[in-house]
Amino acid sequence: MKCAFTSVVARRNFGQNHVSATPPPSTPPAAQQASSPSAAAAKAKRDWPESVRLYVQRAFASENNIPGMNREEMETKLKQVISDSAESNTLLTVDWANKPLPQHMILAERHQTIYFNQNPPWGNGVAPLSIHDTNTRRTDSPSKKRKSSDLESSQNGHQKVPPWRLANNRNLFEDRITQSDKRQRNDFGGKSSSKSHQAKNKKRFEDGQAGYVSPKEPFTPSQLSTPPQEMDQGPVIGRCQDLEKKYFRLTSAPNPDTVRPLPVLERTLDLLKRKWKKENNYSYICDQFKSLRQDLTVQHIKTEFTVNVYEIHARIALEKGDLGEYNQCQTQLRALHLQHLGGHPEEFKAYRILYFIHTCNRTDMNNALADLTPEEKKVPAIKHALETRSALALGNYHRFAQLYLSTPNMGAYLMDMFVGRERLAALSNMCLSYKPAIKLRFFTEELGFESDDESARFICDHGGQAFLEDREGEVVILTGKAGRFFEATRQAAFQKVDIKGQI
Amino acid sequence: MEVLFRDFQTACQEGSGPLLAATISPIAPPNYLNRLDAIYKDSNAASISRDVAFGLTKSAHAVIQYPNPQIDTWTEIYSAYWYAIGCIIAAAQSTSKPDWLRVYMAWKDLANTIIKHYSSGVLEAWTLPVLYMAGKHLRIFAIKADEAAAASGGDDTFNTGDIQEDIAGDFDKNQTLEDAARVINRMFTLCISDRAPLEESRKWGLYYTANLQFKTYFKLNSPSLCKNVIRALGAGRTDMPDLDAFPRSHIVTWKYYVGVLRFLEEDYAGAEESLTSAWHMCHRSATRNIKLILTYLIPTCLLTRQLLPSPRLLALYPHLAELFTPLVDAIRSGALSTFDAALADGEAEFVKRRIYLTLERGRDMCLRNLLRKVYLAAEMDEEGKRRTRIRVDEFGAAIRLGERGVEGENLENDEVECMVANMIYKNLIKGYISRAHGMVVLSKNGAFPGTGI
Repeated sequence: MKCAFTSVVARRNFGQNHVSATPPPSTPPAAQQASSPSAAAAKAKRDWPESVRLYVQRAFASENNIPGMNREEMETKLKQVISDSAESNTLLTVDWANKPLPQHMILAERHQTIYFNQNPPWGNGVAPLSIHDTNTRRTDSPSKKRKSSDLESSQNGHQKVPPWRLANNRNLFEDRITQSDKRQRNDFGGKSSSKSHQAKNKKRFEDGQAGYVSPKEPFTPSQLSTPPQEMDQGPVIGRCQDLEKKYFRLTSAPNPDTVRPLPVLERTLDLLKRKWKKENNYSYICDQFKSLRQDLTVQHIKTEFTVNVYEIHARIALEKGDLGEYNQCQTQLRALHLQHLGGHPEEFKAYRILYFIHTCNRTDMNNALADLTPEEKKVPAIKHALETRSALALGNYHRFAQLYLSTPNMGAYLMDMFVGRERLAALSNMCLSYKPAIKLRFFTEELGFESDDESARFICDHGGQAFLEDREGEVVILTGKAGRFFEATRQAAFQKVDIKGQI
Repeated sequence: MEVLFRDFQTACQEGSGPLLAATISPIAPPNYLNRLDAIYKDSNAASISRDVAFGLTKSAHAVIQYPNPQIDTWTEIYSAYWYAIGCIIAAAQSTSKPDWLRVYMAWKDLANTIIKHYSSGVLEAWTLPVLYMAGKHLRIFAIKADEAAAASGGDDTFNTGDIQEDIAGDFDKNQTLEDAARVINRMFTLCISDRAPLEESRKWGLYYTANLQFKTYFKLNSPSLCKNVIRALGAGRTDMPDLDAFPRSHIVTWKYYVGVLRFLEEDYAGAEESLTSAWHMCHRSATRNIKLILTYLIPTCLLTRQLLPSPRLLALYPHLAELFTPLVDAIRSGALSTFDAALADGEAEFVKRRIYLTLERGRDMCLRNLLRKVYLAAEMDEEGKRRTRIRVDEFGAAIRLGERGVEGENLENDEVECMVANMIYKNLIKGYISRAHGMVVLSKNGAFPGTGI
């Protein structure tokens, strides 16, 4: 009996346009998913054998759907399998009826990947993410990968372990990987003797990546929402046990041997905190923190610990005036805080407001203001930041100085960034409004300088030494003479807002 | 589906773009509420293109012999339109979660098809309203799709796209709209890159598509992207018709957005110019548009010309009156605390429209008015002329009178001096402060510029 639907054929490409000269997206009334027919729309330029078509139908059938399996991943895999087979002309020889479906293949690969990331069958130099490519036992497709399936035989027994158990017993596995095993694998790796051969293989693995779904992507959106406390989501699970690690920008997939797992990272943080207190070496600390952040990112760890790390780094960067690094941390923290992972969201909201004052970023300031809830506005740190903003907006330098001297938390470091230009503005203001002169003491107190010396130096730094005069034992500023003198420098100061680059 | 073809024929006969555009409207016209249903039910997915082709050719033969490319083009367009209608009907009738994303995807197909045929040159310039229709609704569907996605609880997860850098991606709550922005950008490029002579050029669609882009970018909260559009239009000035030659509706919308953009960048002079001309050109009965324009024009004039909107003007637009009257009154009477209270009350509204920071500066005017009152209230000197020397204490007293509670008591004279210094600096008061005497010396003529004193 002929079935009442258009037969589904594997398509050569996954173009998006449903509208074409050939029959448009047809919805076969059979129980197929809505999107699949459009995807598998008969761009039938080749005659696919019946068995292949049946295989494809099986793949799309709803009962074979694996919950949590991304449809696109499955389609990509399907395409890969079929085109490989087509290229090697095995379309008719492969037993499609008994071939495992793409979704099963992907599932198996994932299990493999997690496992093999800990036990690469060869030396440490090769990117381990490509391991699953060599899993020739799983896929019958004649892949372009070398057959190292013989190397896997020693690990047969472990392959059935599901990923979550792997994660919890992570340390157990790490214990099992003794040095001798590693050496043994190194020897195997050396089988493909020359360095160039190894390099070539490495390249093939990396090229082979393109055909498969990149394991970089998290499993599915639904799984993303589970708190990643117990299990490292994502493909990379670190093995490195070193506490300290220099920062290197990643140019390819990370090597788990250089990535530190969560327990190690926690100890690293403690060590860094102690070292910072003791040595105060910023470039070293910054470097270490960046590699710490990197390890957290590649392992997709988003917990309170992550928040903690970013907050500490942000504070350190603030202390040293490294605005570039601080801005990076700030951006990440905003996203993290929105996930309610803990930490001190209010403290950092206040910092953000101060930061936007510094960068004169009206749009983001507007947005930040819009995001505040009435309760947050009562938090002292945020209240302080808001008052600072409005004082500066109205030019109330008197109030600004008072606020500057009473900044909560570490906001003072941020205020330091723009206190200079605001004082300049105030000076310019005063020169125009006060005649004929004002006492230096008044200036010092009004603008929150620590001493007359400091304020005098400030004036001289901006070229105003001519206006300082000693009268009856007191130093005065001849505002009458100064007039619009400081106006130009004031304009210039507000023009360029320099966000210093990273160290 | 007959109705579709009949309308199409009429439109082609009259060469009317708007009529043609109406044929692909996703909203049923008031005189034929069942239009979408009728069209959709008249065919099915397998045979839609054949039906359309047949229908078009049949009705075509009756009047003018169309060359084939036109039939093919419109077959594709109507097929895509038919598919989109299906999704729209499904969404409209769905009780639980209408799938606006599908509607959007289908409509995007339609838009892409139309763009394709414009670039291949088959569709002529007089059919531009079709492009407008596609773009306008694309944007609307995108917004609906995003809202639906947000409502169904999109998770606030990171965008872990780049494994190397720990960049927190922007939450993709506006993904569809961003996609729509790209499509509309293509429409814009389509218009601007047309080399045909002016009578048949697509350049006439420039401002409409530019306005669509503005609307989209504003909704996406990234007004900075609009600068590219303005620059593009500024660069192609030579062979483009003057702004005044375009339809009025395009011009008004354009000027409004340009005005708002300048406002956001604090170029108040430029903003005033654009918004004022938009206001004058706007049709009297388009109240919503006028309200929008005035929402930005009022704060602008406040700053540039220290002009307050008259009660008569505000009375015309009750919504605006609600928004601005408390503030305006407070400024006029120089009541600082009332001003602060009014600003705080309306804060949410103001921040939403991004006018809060500008209105804040109105406080200066308020203060100036207060001090002016002090000046006027001061006793005359022997010659019957006003005193030009006013003690800082007097000013301080006036301010404290208005301030409530703690703030007033803590107000030191130094702060009062600071405020006066600001007034002088901003040229709201002419004079100087003599700290030695604790006095403010005002200029004899025009101590308060702009107020006639």
